Amino acid sequence: MISLECDNLFGTWREQARWLLSHQVDPSQVSWGEAQAADLFATDEPILAGLGPFQARIPKALLELLESAACYHGDQRWSLLYEVLWRVSHGDRTAMLAGDKLGSELQRRIKQVSREAHHLHAFVRFVALPPEAGPELPEYVAWHEPAHDILKSASQHFIGRMGRHRWMIATPLDGVYYDGQQLIHQRHCPEAWQQLAQNVEDPHSAMWLTYYSHIFNPARLNPKVMEGHLPSRFWKNLPEGKLIPSLISEARTGKQKDGQAKMIGSKPGKRIASGQG
Amino acid sequence: MQLIEKLSILADAAKYDASCASSGAPKRSSEGKAGLGSTDGMGICHSYTPDGRCVSLLKVLLTNFCLYDCQYCVNRRSSDVPRARFSPEEVVTLTLDFYRRNCVSGLFLSSGIIRSADYTMEQLVRVAKLLREEHDFRGYIHLKTIPEADPALIAEAGRYADRLSVNIELPTDASLQTLAPEKQIGSIKQAMQTIYTGEQTVLNEPRAPRFAPAGQSTQMIVGADDTDDSTILHGAEALYGNFKLRRVYYSAFSPIPNSPKSVPLAAPPLMREHRLYQADFLLRSYGFSAGELFEGPGHLALDIDPKLAWALEHREVFPLDLNRAEPTLIARIPGIGLRTTQRLVDLRRERKIRFEDLARMRCVLAKAKPFFITSDYHPQQADSTSVLLREQLRDRPQPQQMGLWG
Ligand code: SF4
Repeated sequence: MISLECDNLFGTWREQARWLLSHQVDPSQVSWGEAQAADLFATDEPILAGLGPFQARIPKALLELLESAACYHGDQRWSLLYEVLWRVSHGDRTAMLAGDKLGSELQRRIKQVSREAHHLHAFVRFVALPPEAGPELPEYVAWHEPAHDILKSASQHFIGRMGRHRWMIATPLDGVYYDGQQLIHQRHCPEAWQQLAQNVEDPHSAMWLTYYSHIFNPARLNPKVMEGHLPSRFWKNLPEGKLIPSLISEARTGKQKDGQAKMIGSKPGKRIASGQG
Repeated sequence: MQLIEKLSILADAAKYDASCASSGAPKRSSEGKAGLGSTDGMGICHSYTPDGRCVSLLKVLLTNFCLYDCQYCVNRRSSDVPRARFSPEEVVTLTLDFYRRNCVSGLFLSSGIIRSADYTMEQLVRVAKLLREEHDFRGYIHLKTIPEADPALIAEAGRYADRLSVNIELPTDASLQTLAPEKQIGSIKQAMQTIYTGEQTVLNEPRAPRFAPAGQSTQMIVGADDTDDSTILHGAEALYGNFKLRRVYYSAFSPIPNSPKSVPLAAPPLMREHRLYQADFLLRSYGFSAGELFEGPGHLALDIDPKLAWALEHREVFPLDLNRAEPTLIARIPGIGLRTTQRLVDLRRERKIRFEDLARMRCVLAKAKPFFITSDYHPQQADSTSVLLREQLRDRPQPQQMGLWG
C-alpha cells in the first residue's frame, strides 16, 4: 500500500499519478491524504526513482475533467481521480462518462464544482471601504464561504466586471486580492484580509434591502423553490438573508392576497385623471 | 420624495413583469479599462426572493404615473396607488451602486406612459445612454419598448440595450381590446417588426453599430382573460416564427390591489404558468410544434407534464431502443432531457446501454421507464393502457394552486 500526500495541489498529484501509472500501480494499492489511518496497515514500499516502463496515452480532455473534479472537497478526493485515470489509460473510456458508476461520480463532482463557481459569481457581496482607507487597501471587500476549491479560478470573473477597481475576496481557506492590475491568490488567506472582509461596516445597505423586499411578490410565495436555488448556507453572508424569514411569514399571514408590499398599501394613493399629460 | 421611497414604489410597481434574464449578451469586459461591467452570454441570478424568482437585474419602472388604463395593471390611471418618478440620473446611480455590490448584472427598465409614447421612450433611452456613454457601463441593459414610439427611438434604444422587449400583454386581440383599450395589437407587432428589422440589418455586418445583441422578448399575461393554452402556445409559436423572439415569458396573473371587476381576484395560476413554460421549452428546444401538443382547443394538463402527455397520446412511437433510436426521438421520452440524451449517445459509442446506467443519470426514471428498451430491459408497462399509465405517473398530490390562500 502506498500512501501519498499532495498538499491538495493538482500539479503535485499529477506528477505522482504519472509516476504511479508508469509503474502500473493498481488504484487499490494507493491512497492519498488518508495517511494517518492507512499507515497503520500499510507496508510502505520504497518509491522507485524515475518513471516506469508503462507509457499511457492520456486524452487532454481527461486532464481537464480531472483538474476540475480535483476542486471538489470530499471523500477520496484524489484516489477517485487516479482510478479514473487508470481505467481510461487502460482503454476504458466509460470511466469518464455519466452512466458508468465511477464516471457518474466524476461528472457529479465536476457539476458541483461548476455550480460552486456560479455561486461565487452570484452571491459574493462587495462592500465599499470608506474612501479614506487609502490606495494600499482594496476599494471593495467581500467575505464568502465556498464549499469547494473554486476561488482562484472563479474569481477571475470579477476582473472583467470591476474594471480598474481594487477588490478582495476572503474565505476561511484562501483569499484573492486584485490590486487594479493583477490578481493575487493566497492559499492561506491572511488574517488581516479575513478581518477586513468580516468586519467592514456597510452604512448604505438600505437601498438594496428595500429593493429586495419590494421586488418580491408575496402572492407567489414559494420558499421551497427559493431554497433550491439559494441554499440556506449562503443566507448568513447575504445582506438580504436576514429579510427572508420575515418576508415569508408576512406573506403567510395575510400579505398573500395580492402582490403589493405592505408598506406600499399604507401610503396615500393617487388616481390620474384621463387626459392629464 | 427620498430616493429610497421612490425605489420602494417603483420596484413594487415593476414586480409583475416576469422577465429578468441577463443572458444572451455578447462578451464584454472592463479589464484594465475605465468604467464598470462585463457580460459573457450567461445570465447570473444574484439572488432569489421567497417567491422562488431570480433577481438578476435591477428591475424598476422609471415612473408608475400612467395615462393608460389597462385593467390588469396596478399602475393603470384609475388605480389608487402611490406614485413616484425617478430622474434618469437616479436610475443610473442605483444601477451602478447595485452593480458594484454584485447584487445585479444590470438594469431592466420599463415605464408607465407619461405625456406621450415618444417622450416616455426618450426618457428610457436617456438612462441607457447615460450608463453607456457617461459611465462606460458594460453590464446588461434591457429596455422595455413603448410600442407607439417613433421607430427612430427604438433604433436608438437598440444601440444601447442588450435586449429590447415589447409586451404582447394578452394572448388575443379581443382580450387586448377589452382589457387594454388604449393598446393596439397593430402597433405592438409593428414595434416587434422594427426590432426584428434592426437585428437583421446588423447581422453579418461586423462593423455596423450593434443592435440589441441579446434579441427581443415579450410577456404574455396568463389567467387575466379566459384564453386557452392552445391559443396561447400557437400565438407564441407565431411570435417565435415571425419576429425571431428569444423568449416569450408567461406571467400568471397576480391579483392586484384595488382590483377592477374585469379581472379575477384569485391566486395566480402558478401551475398553469409552469406547464406553459415546459411546453414553450418543447417548442424552442425539442422540435415540437404547438400542433403536436394540442389536437384542438383546450388547456395543457396540470397533473402531467406536456412531454408525458404527448407520449401517452403517441404510444405507437414507444418503447424506443436507447441503443438505436435517433437522439431527437430519445429526447422525446418523458423524464429524459437533452443533457441525458447527449450522455446516452456518448455512452453508447463506447458500449451497450444498460438499465442501471439510466439510474445514475439525471433523469426521472419512473417517468421514463415505460417508454424505453435497453439491452437488458424491456418495459412491462409497454402493454399498460395510457389511462393506467397516467394514473401511475401523474404528479401527486393533485397540484393545487401553490401557497396558502384564505
Ligand atoms: S401602459 Fe398599461 S400596462 Fe403599462 S403601465 Fe400603463 S396601465 Fe400599466
